[in-house]
Amino acid sequence: MNFDINTVIGEMLAAIKGSVNKDWKEVKTASEQFLERDKNRLEMIAALRISGELMREDFESRLADQKKIIEAELNALAVISKALAQNAANAAIDVLEKAVIVAIKAAL
Amino acid sequence: MKKQLLYPILLIAIISVFFINSCKVALIPGYDASILSQIETTSKQVDKFYLSMLETTTPENNGRKFELFANEYVNIEVELNSLLTKNKIKPLNENSTRICEITLELWQKYKEEHKTKNTLSNGLIILNRQSFNDLFYSMQVAEKGKDMVRDSPK
Repeated sequence: MNFDINTVIGEMLAAIKGSVNKDWKEVKTASEQFLERDKNRLEMIAALRISGELMREDFESRLADQKKIIEAELNALAVISKALAQNAANAAIDVLEKAVIVAIKAAL
Repeated sequence: MKKQLLYPILLIAIISVFFINSCKVALIPGYDASILSQIETTSKQVDKFYLSMLETTTPENNGRKFELFANEYVNIEVELNSLLTKNKIKPLNENSTRICEITLELWQKYKEEHKTKNTLSNGLIILNRQSFNDLFYSMQVAEKGKDMVRDSPK
């Protein structure tokens, strides 16, 4: 059976790299969007506090809410990261699977 | 002799193909177009709720008393509860579930604030609208993330 594990590992790594490069743009775009939105909300809260529309207690409460919104955004990024990891892992497994199939066919 | 050795090796190789195939990694649930559609509908409902409040009412003369908006608060909360339940029952879906929990939690908090003060300033309407807009965006990003999966595990 013709099965060179070093070649297969090399191809698996290349598949992982290719998959991550392809998806990385999505993570970057979403992160930039989230940061821009966070900045806008924080500016609004600061303006409301300065104008006196938000009292100190309400201001602190709103700041605590911002932490939760950022947590939600991080959860959304986690989904993209998991998709990226899933794609990369499965691309590597596909390479391994194909290499084993080729080796079986050659042996038959 | 050589043939006798080849058969067990082949058997192991065939078993490994099946094993590798069944070992596909799954970290997130599959993309659900119906959930994305419900997120968009609820997002529009919330946006319309705050925009109408801002554009068609004023805080003067009890124009923004809670009672006038109570029904719509309930309608939106029902949609948010539904989204939370739909996300909760899916395996591997803790991230989307958490986003929904935070959204529902803040919706209930701001509803209570409105109820207690029995009015809402323009500034807070704008801030609430923006906050929910961003939370729904997070839900959409998460759902679209699931659509990025190229080869779903068999």
